[in-house]
Amino acid sequence: MHKSSSNPRPRRGRSRPAGPVRSLRRLRIVAALAVFLVLTAALADFRELVPVRVGHWLGAVQFVPALMAAVAGLGISAVILGAIVVITLLFGRLYCSVLCPLGVFQDVVARLGRRSARLLRFARPQRLLRNAVLGAAVAAVVAGWGGFALAVVDPYSNYGRVVSGLFRPVASWINNAFTGLANRAGWMGLYRVELPLHGLGALVIPALLLTAVVVLAVLRGRLYCNAICPVGTVLGLLSRRAAFRISIDGDACTKCGSCLRSCKAQCIDLRAGTVDFDRCVACFNCLDACDERGIGYRFEWRRTRASGEAMKDPQRDVPEPAPAGESRRAFFGRLSALAAAGAWVASRARAATVVPPRIGPAGLIPPRGATPESDGVAGIRDIDPARQHAISPPGSHSVHRFLDRCTACHLCVSACPKHVLQPAVFEYGFEGLMKPRMDYTASFCDYDCTKCVDVCPDGALERIPVAAKQLDQLGLAYFDPDKCIVTTKGTDCAACSEHCPTKAVYTTPYGNNLRLPTVNRDLCIGCGACEYACPVQPVKAIEVSGLRTHGRASRDASKEPSPPKPPSEGDFPF
Amino acid sequence: MHSRRDFLRTGLALGAAACVLPEISSLFAAEPAVPDTPAGKPLLSAVRDGTRSAMLERALADFGGIQAFVKPGHSVLVKPNIGWNTPPERGADTHPELVGHLVALCKAAGANRVAVFDRTCDKWTDCYARSGIADAVKAAGGEMVPGNDEDYYREVELPQGRILKSAKVHRLVLESDVFFNVPVLKNHQGSLLTASMKNLMGIVWDRGFYHRADLHQCIADFLTYKRPDLNILDAYHPMYRNGPRGRTVADVVEKRMLFASRDIVAIDAAGAKVLEYDPAKVRHIALAGEMGLGVMDLARVDIRRHALV
Repeated sequence: MHKSSSNPRPRRGRSRPAGPVRSLRRLRIVAALAVFLVLTAALADFRELVPVRVGHWLGAVQFVPALMAAVAGLGISAVILGAIVVITLLFGRLYCSVLCPLGVFQDVVARLGRRSARLLRFARPQRLLRNAVLGAAVAAVVAGWGGFALAVVDPYSNYGRVVSGLFRPVASWINNAFTGLANRAGWMGLYRVELPLHGLGALVIPALLLTAVVVLAVLRGRLYCNAICPVGTVLGLLSRRAAFRISIDGDACTKCGSCLRSCKAQCIDLRAGTVDFDRCVACFNCLDACDERGIGYRFEWRRTRASGEAMKDPQRDVPEPAPAGESRRAFFGRLSALAAAGAWVASRARAATVVPPRIGPAGLIPPRGATPESDGVAGIRDIDPARQHAISPPGSHSVHRFLDRCTACHLCVSACPKHVLQPAVFEYGFEGLMKPRMDYTASFCDYDCTKCVDVCPDGALERIPVAAKQLDQLGLAYFDPDKCIVTTKGTDCAACSEHCPTKAVYTTPYGNNLRLPTVNRDLCIGCGACEYACPVQPVKAIEVSGLRTHGRASRDASKEPSPPKPPSEGDFPF
Repeated sequence: MHSRRDFLRTGLALGAAACVLPEISSLFAAEPAVPDTPAGKPLLSAVRDGTRSAMLERALADFGGIQAFVKPGHSVLVKPNIGWNTPPERGADTHPELVGHLVALCKAAGANRVAVFDRTCDKWTDCYARSGIADAVKAAGGEMVPGNDEDYYREVELPQGRILKSAKVHRLVLESDVFFNVPVLKNHQGSLLTASMKNLMGIVWDRGFYHRADLHQCIADFLTYKRPDLNILDAYHPMYRNGPRGRTVADVVEKRMLFASRDIVAIDAAGAKVLEYDPAKVRHIALAGEMGLGVMDLARVDIRRHALV
């Protein structure tokens, strides 16, 4: 069929690869675009259009989130991780070409920038760099900085931050620009949204990464994936001996170079007649490019196990495709680094359920300068809440656990309808860079909303039901009567109490027919509604101080004011 | 230099103008011709023990029906309280049945457009949906308008305000032919209660100013700019404590009442009585009465009582 020239650009009448081979590339493109577009939509979502479970699952099938969740003991994520490993062992790095949004993003960028793209030739592998990055990541994990390191290197999370932090404001701005036009035309489906702008400090890393990835993609295809990305390095390690591999048939190959031109990984060495399948991202472009069936995707295990002479195999004469020059020692070095990391991960999986006691006795963030030991319960009252804003999201259990597990993919930041989740700069300390925090200057947490815990793909936020979320004590409100309008101006206000969903903040009679707020911290969940609503400037009269380890609010009815009188029968009271 | 003749001429002209002007201004005012009561008392319709829809219709009948307010082709603004992301049974928002039925009546009276909005405290899309109001309004042929968008707000002057001298007001308030204020009766931890007067904070952009400057005075001051054509107070199950958001359904008590009045002070005084407060202790009611923006003393109000049993 294809011989009868369905190809718009017939090349000297040669035969094209058979149908099934051609459809591999198309299948890959369709699947990759589907995952990429939906995940990008979830990350760029500015008005809750993409269901949170869709974003959750597309994040949950990513390598690093699956690894994090599997380590935390989540069975389904262990299965996902196993599936990624098995698929890579069998078919190569399909993950990099289909699931990884940063990988597909590079393909899209490279395609859009193709005019300026150079012809990519075979390049030597960047073994030193990629092993160094992987080694640094593994070392960081072993040293207890895994939460930081994996957040910095995970390609999926990097892409998430780029879209959530940089693309989402642009999408919102475009939406707002068209809203007036649409509304005037009578279409009310559009409405303006608040621009989801983060602090500049939180955007530095996403902006640098975006620049690097775009430049590399245009100039060198998938070099980022094969020189820097540690997920690419790990999967490369698995794929180098994959069951199905791309290889060159020395008899059929005319060394025309079509496959080279189509290869974004620069892994086809035509001179040697080899394909470095370690770096191949299984995009199958070369299969389509080759008119001679000189390059194929073949089952290789049988061949390599066979004693050799049985098959007419041109590859027998050339070095094994995988190493492409890498020494056996380096190979085993990488392998053992991984094994060490694996052992460490396994040991943590057992300890995962225990929350490390890294906190003060009352579970409160100690005041600046105080050591946790010196911060007794009495010290709680002395906390200056204005300085303590590192409040971890619902379902995170503790700041420590959260920083350990969150990869800062910012799905929750995009899903949060209130924009209260904002990426931290140094609020959590350096290791908490870019991790979402509750920012009560930006907004407050909706009492009935569980979108962040529903969307979180890696279990950093445990998926707790709304009833549990409504008792999850992220922090505690502290009221300063000396700043309150009721005392300073002698007029009613109670904006704090008005917004409080648990009535931890309530008012009591004060002065001449006024009402002064009071806090019952047993009921407080630290949602920040009071702090956000407080009209006092510049320092609020009521502020939430974060709990290092989340508490559980009480629902003790005895602490409530007496219930209202039963319905009175009869006429109007006037 | 003025002659005696000039003085007399001016005086007569001013006197004539003083007599005629109120008549002229009433011709131009959007306010419908509502039969005032004989003694010049404001009219308060108080209905109980019916469904919300039935009580609404009964109350409107005291004012000459919906037709007295809405003429064919009018654009109507309905301003309920949709401040909180809570379900109808919690009583934190105006009940959707009441809002929906009012919208349907307006449409039946020939209204061209019936718009509904509130500047909510929780996220507006959540509030519109969870309160049930968005569905009820759309089913009745009305239109939900965003209240979160500063572009919709226009700066207005309030020269007679004591503290609130200017405010940014939703443009629907400026542009609509008819303005129905449809609050829900609730306890309020700061202002003691929230009803018709406080519900008007939801058409103003900067509420923080109210809280900072003097909440009660600003609430009263706003009335110098605009008083709704009719206030319809939802007191079916008022919130007696933990207001204005409430915690659970245990905060509301079923009373099955509804009030309507053009006098926003009188209707809130009635609401205060239901919540067992002395209206004079609710400072914004007292201030508005003192500023002559309505009648706080219910003895000077023509109350029409109806029980729909």
